[in-house]
Parts: sequence; structure tokens; C-alpha cells
Amino acid sequence: MTTRSFNPLSRSVAGPLPSRALNAPRQALVEVEFDGTPSQVNRRPVALVREEWRVVDRWWTEEPVSRRYFEVVLDSGENTVVFRDEEKGGWFAQRA
Amino acid sequence: MIASILIPGFELRAALLRRPSLALGPAALAPLPGTEPRLGPVTAAAEAAGVRPGMRLGEALSMCPSLVLVEHDPASAGEEWEGILRRLEDAGFAVEPAEPGCLYFETRGVERLYGGVEAALRRALAAVGSQWDPRAGAADRRFAALAAAGVARAGQILVVAGEHTRDFLAPLPLTLLSLEPDRHEELSELGVRTLGELAGLPGAAVADRLGPDGRRAWSLARGGSSGGVAARRPAAELAVALEFPEAVGNELTLRRALWALLDRVLALPERAGREPRKLVVSARLVGGGSWRRSATLREATADVARLRAALGPKLAELTAPVLKLGIELTELGDSAGRQLELVRPEGDELRVRLREGLRQTRSSAGAGAVCTVVEVAPWSRLPEQRALLVPRD
Repeated sequence: MTTRSFNPLSRSVAGPLPSRALNAPRQALVEVEFDGTPSQVNRRPVALVREEWRVVDRWWTEEPVSRRYFEVVLDSGENTVVFRDEEKGGWFAQRA
Repeated sequence: MIASILIPGFELRAALLRRPSLALGPAALAPLPGTEPRLGPVTAAAEAAGVRPGMRLGEALSMCPSLVLVEHDPASAGEEWEGILRRLEDAGFAVEPAEPGCLYFETRGVERLYGGVEAALRRALAAVGSQWDPRAGAADRRFAALAAAGVARAGQILVVAGEHTRDFLAPLPLTLLSLEPDRHEELSELGVRTLGELAGLPGAAVADRLGPDGRRAWSLARGGSSGGVAARRPAAELAVALEFPEAVGNELTLRRALWALLDRVLALPERAGREPRKLVVSARLVGGGSWRRSATLREATADVARLRAALGPKLAELTAPVLKLGIELTELGDSAGRQLELVRPEGDELRVRLREGLRQTRSSAGAGAVCTVVEVAPWSRLPEQRALLVPRD
């Protein structure tokens, strides 16, 4: 047998842990109406769209941001915020 | 002096105890489920076929199609390791286990008993048992002792005298330090390949270039800190087990069996009223595998409800039906007395408790479990850019 896989020092010289973003967007499964407003979020029906707004930022950079946010109330009574990433496509949930 | 004993590939050796015939052929410890598909330690026959520890599974199997993957056997490994520690403690060595396959002890207390450092180390190797191919090293510093054990051959003792520590470490490869691969590459590009070359660099420059882990590695390359050995308290030997007539996979049945075992182990007269601080639940699984989980309590208690709350969720982690279930009290509190509180804690007392709670959270959930929220751009229109979670270590 060999010694190479076993290194008791591996923990003692491990590097520092990186910081991470708080409230990072999480992928969401969203179905939409004809006008683009959410009708289902993660397979749960939307009872009410409370608010809608846009965030367009960093348009002067290589990674522009263009998002269409919706604050919705699900039929379970839960309040949630989702947005459509209009640059890369796809829906995400995030606390706004 | 500080001594270190190493058993390379301990987990593979423990897993092969029940299948000794595999030890002679090409075999390797299989990757844990949910981890990167890389091999653990390998047997000599596998190494002769070109298989290396850490190699990707696909690459290893294409290189050696007859390679046998050996499942982890944590229960056997835990039992065998505990057996080794107890044999050493019975021989008078106050050991500090670093992890299965690696331990430290101070030779000062046993040198006169056995007639010198080398004689004491020979006795320690004998206590471990030659079937494990242990190797021993001793030096003034922990890292040097570990490095000495790392370069010794099976059954060999290597003692490094204090004044020779730097000379001994100097030609050893940097791989002993297990830095991140890109750090190794960076050092290699700079022409630094040995501990001596790293130790010869100015500490501030190393810290500047490689960060805190580089600075720590530099410090180890110069011999490491002179910290002593914190010997463990010899473990309690209170264990009970239950064998089922046929394999049981029903969690409710297992839970009832565990509660019955808990009652039995708490009723053992050897406990003498002491309260458990650490418990281990182990199981022999159908198909030959094993399972083992430990629970360390914030404070020692014999309260059945609290013990059930600590152990119950562990059963959900079982991976196969169980043939034998066991419970062991591995650490006991000092006394059976308990001081109740009259006044609710506040001020400094509350802060001390909070700090202790955070420390325990970190030790049970791992580094990075405790974070501080730092506002970096509260004005940002992008919510994820307003604050960062910074680990507090």
C-alpha cells in the first residue's frame, strides 16, 4: 500500500474560505401568461401579482444586467419575488 | 520529544480486514457517494499496475480493469482505531489522535519506563500491531515528528534530534504540506521544490505571495510551532449491541431498537452515574458494509429525551437495511451533579455562551458555518450585491 493519499496535514494548511453573496438569485420554475407575467412559480399557482419593476444596470460593461421583477402572492398565501433575466434568459427567485 | 505514529491507508486496511484476500490483488478504496470520483488509498498490487491514489475512477479502471473497488467500512475503521488507541493507552502512552491512521504522544513520560525514546517507540509500534505496518517518528516539533514518521518505512523508527530538524526537513518534498495544487504549481514555477527551499524564503514575502496558508506552510517548513500534545481522556468502554434475526430497513423499528439500546447502555452499572458527553451509533449493514455516526453533546447529560433528540436523526442517514445495531458511550462527564441556574445569564456571561455556541456550531457543521453579514453596497439596485457572507474563523 502507499502513503500518498494520506496526508494528515491537509486540514492544517487548508486555505481561507471565500466570502459569498448574500441573497444570490436561485433558479425558479416559472410559467407565464401571454403578457409575460408569472402564472405559476415552482408549480404553485400565482394568486396575485402585487408589483412589477425593471432593473437595468451595468449597460456600460461587458456584463449588462436587465431584469424584470415581479412580486407575487401564491395561492398558499406566500409572498415571493421572481425575475426574468432578459440578458441570459431564465427565471430566478430572490428576496428583493 | 513528540512522537507520531502513522498507518498509511488505514481506512483501506480496515475495510480489507473482512476480505483479506483482496489485499493481495489490485484494490482501492472506492470514492464516497456524492464526492468526486477519485480513488482513496490503493494496494501495492494496484500501484504496480499503475493505479495511484487520487486517480479518477474511469482512468484507473481503464488502466487496470481487474481493479477491485472496496467500499468504506467506517464501523470497522472506528472499532480498530479505538482498539489501537486503547492498546497504546494500556501501554502507558497518553495519545492525541489526529485522525484515523495518525496520532501523537509525548515521549517524556515513558522514556524512563521503557529505557529511552527508541525503546518507547518500539513498544508503541508493538502495541499498534505489525499487521497495520505502522511507522514512528519523533522530533522536538509535531510537524517534524509527523514528517519523520511519513518517510520511515513500515515498522521503522526515525528519531530526529533537535539540532538536526532543519537539516532533516530541508530535502523533503513540498507534497508533505498538501497545499492547493495551484500553490504547488506556483512554487514549482518559482523553483521552490523542497521544504528547505521554502523555509529559506523570507516569511513576509511568502505571506505576500501565497496568503495565510502559504505563511502557515512556510512556518511548518521551518519546523512548525512548538505546541505540545493534548492527550485525549481514555475512552469509556460502555457499549451494547442488538443483532436482528433478519435485516431491518424500517426506520420506526430501528428507532425503537435504538431507544431500547439507549436504555440498556444508560443502565449499565459501569456508568456509575456519570453522564454521556459523546455517543456513537454503529450498524452492520446487509451486504457486508457498515455505518457509524457519532454525536457530541453540548453538555454531558443522561436525559433520555435529549439523547433521543441527538441520536434519532442519525438513523435517517442509514444507507441499507441493518443486521446489527450498536450504541457506545465513548466520553463521559466528570460528575453526576448539575448546577441549575437561578438568574438568567446576561452581559459578559451571555457573550461567553454565545461565543461557545458559535464555536460548537463551527466544529460540528464545519468551517464556514458561521458567517458575518457585511454590507458592501447597500445602495446597489442588484440585491445580491448589497451584502456578503464572510466566514468567521
